[in-house]
Amino acid sequence: MTTNSWMDGWVNSQQDYWKAWADMAQRGMQMPEAQRNPWANGLTQWWQAMAPATPLDGRAVFDRLMGLSKGYFTMAEHMMGQGAGAGDNMALFNTTLEGLQKYWGDWLHNGGQWFGKDNQSKDMMAFWDLPMDTWNRMAANLMPMPGDFTQAFHPESGLSGNLREHTSRFLSIPAVGYSRESQEQFQRFAQLQMDYMAAAQAYQMAFGKVALESTRKFQDHIQQESRQGKTFASLREAYDAWVEFSEAAYANYVMTEEYQQLYGKLVNSLLAVKQHMARMVDQGLEAMHMPTHAEITTLQLRQQELRRENNRLRKAIKEIQEQIPGLRGENLKPAAKPAPARAAAKEAAPTAKSGRKS
Amino acid sequence: MNALDKRPDALLQELVGYSQKLTHGVRNLMEVGEISTGVSPKSPVYGEDKLVLYHFDTPEKATLNKTPLLIVYALVNRPYMTDIQENRSTVKGLMDAGQDVYLIDWGYPDRADRFLTLDDYINGYIDRCVDVLCERHRVDKVNILGICQGGTMSLCYSALHPDKVNSLVTMVTPVDFQTPDNMLSHWVQQVDIDLVVDTLGNVPGEMLNWTFLNLKPYQLMGQKYLGLVDTLDDPEALKNFLRMEKWIFDSPDQAGETFRQFIKDFYQQNKLLKGGLQIGEHEVSLKNVTMPVLNIFAEQDHLVPPDASRAMRGKLGTKDYTELSFPGGHIGIYVSGKAQKTVPPAIGKWLNERN
Repeated sequence: MTTNSWMDGWVNSQQDYWKAWADMAQRGMQMPEAQRNPWANGLTQWWQAMAPATPLDGRAVFDRLMGLSKGYFTMAEHMMGQGAGAGDNMALFNTTLEGLQKYWGDWLHNGGQWFGKDNQSKDMMAFWDLPMDTWNRMAANLMPMPGDFTQAFHPESGLSGNLREHTSRFLSIPAVGYSRESQEQFQRFAQLQMDYMAAAQAYQMAFGKVALESTRKFQDHIQQESRQGKTFASLREAYDAWVEFSEAAYANYVMTEEYQQLYGKLVNSLLAVKQHMARMVDQGLEAMHMPTHAEITTLQLRQQELRRENNRLRKAIKEIQEQIPGLRGENLKPAAKPAPARAAAKEAAPTAKSGRKS
Repeated sequence: MNALDKRPDALLQELVGYSQKLTHGVRNLMEVGEISTGVSPKSPVYGEDKLVLYHFDTPEKATLNKTPLLIVYALVNRPYMTDIQENRSTVKGLMDAGQDVYLIDWGYPDRADRFLTLDDYINGYIDRCVDVLCERHRVDKVNILGICQGGTMSLCYSALHPDKVNSLVTMVTPVDFQTPDNMLSHWVQQVDIDLVVDTLGNVPGEMLNWTFLNLKPYQLMGQKYLGLVDTLDDPEALKNFLRMEKWIFDSPDQAGETFRQFIKDFYQQNKLLKGGLQIGEHEVSLKNVTMPVLNIFAEQDHLVPPDASRAMRGKLGTKDYTELSFPGGHIGIYVSGKAQKTVPPAIGKWLNERN
């Protein structure tokens, strides 16, 4: 199948899908849970098939666009999925937004754990997770381990309870014997990881609060607007307004002292893990008689100091070189004209004489 | 009661339309080809380490300001923003306004550059580039256009070497790093910069990107891409979008020691404004900036708030101080259509009057 026919087929199937969806909605039928969100899932599969044929320059942009489109269509399905044929679509907005608030409330209440199985809502909530998601990608790049090295500790992993318990027990064992230092190092490493995990969780929880707050405000706003007869002209307009409310709530929050502390802890605790890890790697390298990071750092420092000194000397030499013609001119002037030189000698003589006199 | 003024069939059309645009966009993406940046012809005239000093080719019969103009760009992101495409080029606008334009490209520092300091950048690299221009043009002074962080560095340079700067133009340049609306400054106050630099050496560009995106995360990581869908069927608009994306994520790592000093002295202690800033062997005093200064800032700048730039007013030693306020954002000031028509011509005119 050619690329174009793939695409045309895709567009046609979407049209059929949405038409069927709208028909069902107008007849007041509810979509069964198991069949929800098929378009968003289909979009993912379609893009996975298409992506290898696209140029690298734009693939990252489209990856992001597809991810966001998935969330956008999930929102659309929410809005259209529950009796959209009826005139009162304010009720749909309320149902959707109240559902989101309930999820955020539960999530916060459970210390950042998802107990629900509703992937559709999770897709929509991924929108508020953008800052943390980007942070996790960045943090993973700073670490020698691939992916998110704290994943096993995440509350939703299901393993976290056991792992945390084991880690705490491990950390409580006093280090003894021949390998005491090594044990202490690993204990310290684990403790730093736990600190980072706590900082990351606190940061994420803060965003949960912001999301809850902005959803509430957004709902209040549209209710108020609706009472005054103002409506959104399109889904996109509703989405844009939602972004605006989220951004405003975010902007207020991130200028607080609380956020400043959370941000500092997030960055500092990640770097503390990385620093400790680098020290442990260095010790291993040293044992193998290989150059360590610390040694290379010392060499880099000395090299830069030498280069700086070299530049200063070059500049000084250049300045001296620029003065040479002038100096040479002054010195050569008497040499090129013997008479004045002699005259100078004559001039000097009386002085000498006078010197002798004195 | 309704929140959405649309019947389901109209909503359906909106969604199908969206899908179609997305599909056509992929078609256009496949044909987009290479994304070019830095369009005006230029030649390297000096190089040192990773730095390259470029001279932009000027038309043979052009009447040029006899004092060359040196553009000092920020260390974060790449300087081709000033010449990003044919119809969006600050450099081209400056040349059209009679300036003989040079640009410092800092390159991409690697781990061997970790101990480069602000002293190395300001009293080293910039000073040697100024010397190159003075020799080439047989002049004692040059004009400098400093952009963003490059503007702050240019201010420091002008304070330390006032005898070498004829006129100084600063664009979206922070001077007061602790205005109440400065998000970056607020965030970084509790960050242990020594830990960051001692651990990472150079600070990865990705880390800076994350920070910048977080200034407006839902717009910059979300809404912007959905907005792209509206222009996907226009190959040229798609190409422009991808060009900007390329620039946004083209973030060089920051030399560790320079980053350490910049964050501690400027963002955490605000020494440029409060005093006590030491670059190399000398203290930087804004009172030593005695040459004419044109300070340009953007009214909707989310990265360098206008007040951070306005703080320059009254703090310099010059009697010839001019402000130019642009109704746009931090990036729009280089690339928007309005900026193209107003900013470079205004700079050119101001410089020519002080030649």
